[in-house]
Amino acid sequence: MAGILSTRRPDSGLGNIKRGITAPTRSIDWVLMTAVGLLNTIGVFIVYSATRPRLISRGSDPFSFAQRQVAFIIVALVAMVVVMWLDYVQLHGNANLLYAGTLFLLVLVLVTGAVIGGARLSFDLGPISVQPSEISKVTTLLLLAGYLARGDTEEVSYEMFIRSLFIVGVPVVLIAVEPDLGSASVVVAMAMGVLLVAGARARYIILITTLSVSSVVAGVVSGVVRDYQLQRITGFLNQNSDSASLQQLITQVRFAKRAVATGGFFGKGYLDGPLTNGRFIPVQSTDFVFSAVGEQFGMVGCGIVLSLFAVVLWRIFRIARLAQDRLGTLVCTGVFTMILWQAFQNIGMTMGITPVSGVPLPFVSYGGSHTVAFAMMIGLAQSVHMRRFR
Amino acid sequence: MVGERRVSRTAVLGTVAAILGGILCVRLWFLQVLDAPGLEERVREVRTRTVKLTPERGRIFDLEGRIVADNERVLTVTIDRQVVARPLARQQMWNRLSGALGLSLEQLEERYKSKRYDQLQPAPLREDIDESLAVFLRERSEDYPGVDVREHWRREYPYAPVASHVVGFLGAIRESELEYYRNLGYDPDARVGQFGVEQTYESVLRGTPGYVKYEVDSRGRILRQLERREPIPGNDVQLSIDLDMQQFTEQALQTEIRARRRTEAPTVLAFGEPDPRYPEAVFYKAPAGSSVVMNHETGEVLAMASYPNFDNRWFNAGISSEKFQQLFPRTDDPDLSILVNRAISGRYNLGSTFKPFVAFAALNTGQLPGGTSYLLLDEGTYKLQSIPEERCQLNVKCIFKNANCGNGAPCKYGRVNVVDSLAVSSDVFFYKIGEQIFTERGNRPVLEEQVRLFGFGSPTEIDLPYEFTGTIPSRLLKERLAESGAIAREEGEGYYVGDNVQFAIGQGLLSATPLQLAVAYGTLANGGKVVRPRVVRAIWTPGTPDGKSGAVDLRAGTILRDFTAPQVIRDIGLREDVRDPIVRGLTRVINGPGKRYDFYHATTGEKLFRSYPKATLPIAGKTGTAQGAGNLPWNDSSAFAAFSKDPAKPYTASTFIEKAGFGSRAAAPVVKCVFTALAGKIRVGKALPSDPLDVNSFEVAQPQYLPNPLCLVGTGSSVRD
Repeated sequence: MAGILSTRRPDSGLGNIKRGITAPTRSIDWVLMTAVGLLNTIGVFIVYSATRPRLISRGSDPFSFAQRQVAFIIVALVAMVVVMWLDYVQLHGNANLLYAGTLFLLVLVLVTGAVIGGARLSFDLGPISVQPSEISKVTTLLLLAGYLARGDTEEVSYEMFIRSLFIVGVPVVLIAVEPDLGSASVVVAMAMGVLLVAGARARYIILITTLSVSSVVAGVVSGVVRDYQLQRITGFLNQNSDSASLQQLITQVRFAKRAVATGGFFGKGYLDGPLTNGRFIPVQSTDFVFSAVGEQFGMVGCGIVLSLFAVVLWRIFRIARLAQDRLGTLVCTGVFTMILWQAFQNIGMTMGITPVSGVPLPFVSYGGSHTVAFAMMIGLAQSVHMRRFR
Repeated sequence: MVGERRVSRTAVLGTVAAILGGILCVRLWFLQVLDAPGLEERVREVRTRTVKLTPERGRIFDLEGRIVADNERVLTVTIDRQVVARPLARQQMWNRLSGALGLSLEQLEERYKSKRYDQLQPAPLREDIDESLAVFLRERSEDYPGVDVREHWRREYPYAPVASHVVGFLGAIRESELEYYRNLGYDPDARVGQFGVEQTYESVLRGTPGYVKYEVDSRGRILRQLERREPIPGNDVQLSIDLDMQQFTEQALQTEIRARRRTEAPTVLAFGEPDPRYPEAVFYKAPAGSSVVMNHETGEVLAMASYPNFDNRWFNAGISSEKFQQLFPRTDDPDLSILVNRAISGRYNLGSTFKPFVAFAALNTGQLPGGTSYLLLDEGTYKLQSIPEERCQLNVKCIFKNANCGNGAPCKYGRVNVVDSLAVSSDVFFYKIGEQIFTERGNRPVLEEQVRLFGFGSPTEIDLPYEFTGTIPSRLLKERLAESGAIAREEGEGYYVGDNVQFAIGQGLLSATPLQLAVAYGTLANGGKVVRPRVVRAIWTPGTPDGKSGAVDLRAGTILRDFTAPQVIRDIGLREDVRDPIVRGLTRVINGPGKRYDFYHATTGEKLFRSYPKATLPIAGKTGTAQGAGNLPWNDSSAFAAFSKDPAKPYTASTFIEKAGFGSRAAAPVVKCVFTALAGKIRVGKALPSDPLDVNSFEVAQPQYLPNPLCLVGTGSSVRD
């Protein structure tokens, strides 16, 4: 180390510091960046191991999914840098427009989206498909946080609460009828987190919980919630059922659990997971990606992934507290809640403690929309961090 | 500025996050530490698939190596059930397979859904496909995932229906036997021997299955082979049956049975006139019969025929169960049952064919004073001496008669000794033995003990399934029959003189199989050795090489176990002074002369065997007529047994034909043909592989005729013999 210091040229002023102390680029949270980067890297490797057997059996290029994921990450990186670069305050100024745009897309996808498994979740744009629900997570957060931050009081009035409900409710309903209850629940969780930190009373939180639960029940009764959505819940509640209609659902969770369990301490080794290689777990590169981690890398691998999430959440939590204004805190809170809830849901369903919801694991799972969306969220958090000295 | 409340509120959020994270960690620990043991094994199970490799079943060939039970390699298209578990995937697969297999979508679906096949094994879609189709499907395994072509073996019976009762057939495992076969490692859908040698030698013929273990993926597609153990083929079985002689015997039996069906039974007379209660002309029903030819020195069965017979290819012809019901109807009428080997399962009165053993009992126990020189005046009737006159008047049958001599009166043979009485089949002589051997020995079952020596009342232990043990009249048997309701309760109360008298002429509750009769006659022939009859001569190591067409090369094979050494169950100590008069009497049955008393009474077989080549192959035998229901003439069953006196050709033959008339009329001609053939005086046709089975036919077996039925021809006795 001393060698490096001594070789530094004496005329380089303040070392490599060329900007003022408040320059946003000086305040990038590199710990957060590194943790997210590691998760993305792990993701690429896991996606490769989980898609390889199926691609080989089809005679396709075994790297094709991993390569696409790398491309998604590059796009996501660009999106993140753009969001970082834009001031979150400025961004929130355009939140209305962005929010309206997403609502339009959400309506459009219900009408023209590609039907996959009875659900319209995405636009099929040839080589890629776009899920507007992922984007809506970001724009809804921006609008909600901006609205609640406006008053700059530490209280959320009843009127504000009702308006907030409206802001969140519209995209949530649109997402729920796609149907994608998992994503809808992420937005609801985000709203709850933001409202909580914005100073909503406990009874508002209770109200929003009651509302979402009762609307799910109403959805089931009215038939808006499709059978398979319902089965995911009954399947979760009866994981050892013999019912034929639940069999497929139950076995996929059973095999996911077995994959995690048989991984042991160090795992079976990369590309050596028998259940992964035998394609016993459906949609393993997206929904059940954690089972591939568990089988191949065991408790150590799971621990690393969980720890990286802990680091990411800790850093965002820290940024929320350090934020220079109320808007920054609320934005970070939303990002924090969404990552927390989605990761918990995804890992939980792999291990059989939450219902199968079909949400991907942030940063790790294969998929463009959510990778980009979560990168944008990280970008928002970074943007708050970068501008905390303003 | 960050407000204080905001900080405390974010802390709430942090706590929630910590709790959720904690839940995940705890769950992870549960899964990987607590649940993991045991799951490893489960995962290994679902990842491997074991495919059984069926061994080639041992073949069965006759004395000369002609293959009577062979195997044909059959290719079957199967589909992995998991691959097409989803209806959509299945529909697509059927669409692709339908053309290649020539089956409709519905047929494929039906095959897939059928519960006939093991649900854990791939579903068989079509059997018996061409080699070229197999190659086509194997080469395109990418297009037909989960589709496999399996090889297995189908049983062929090239000479069917000849010897089908002996060879037997394969069938599905019955519900009641499932546990037994499962413990032996059989699949529930395996086919096992269900009759004949196929059944008794199942364990020898089966072989040892092998297996291949594959690693598979979630769709059941094979990733790689882990382990393979080749199956070991079953051992070959050589029968003691000579197929030519078997075919000849079956032909003789069937030809005779058909001839009897065209023959009228004698009219029932009442006071010299036709009895108006009965029709004048009744044809013999002759529904069934059986015949056994065995070597009485070694116990080897040379031929064993049973009629009605069946073609054992029906059992693997893939016919519908309705068709099967039509061919093999379920019936309570014993006359019609097909899947019965009457030679070993028929339960028959033996009639006079039983007399030699009563003669043995009398001579062996000294019941006849002076033995051969003991004479009795046979005036056609015998009156029981042990029953007081008044009881005879009251309710006991005391008068027993000989058979009628044509004119409505019982035959009278004058003074007869034991030899004469066997030759002319005098009932009176044996009535007397039957009474006195009982009453003069303290009502002890002496006759039963004596005839049991010959194997009556106990199984012959032949290596075929479903053998009938036979019954011997006794107090115990009567009690048992009364209990089961076969006879009236009061009838079962005790064993009386009258029972023993009936017993002495082979009627009443005596029953035996034609094989037991042959073994007993063989014992007289071989000097007193009761031998165990066998239809299998040897067990050979697997894969006896093929010789000339349709036969194996016996010189090139290796014998694993040889059964040719005679198994003597018991030596009854037959004294020459006892055997000689019996054999002389039986010889006179064939050769004559009869007895002159009033007029000449021919012996029962004398006229029939006039055309028999006695000088070439001297034989001795006895006729018998078993009385049937109502003692009506058309219910008489015909029995005959004879043995060769030539030590170079030590054969004994017996025949029993149900409801076919006197012994000399139906059964004796068949035996005569058999011995004429054994004497070499008639050409025995070569058994030839039969035509392919016509699955549209409604005949259970192709009828067989003796090409030259001359040996059957001859005049039978005019007296019930």
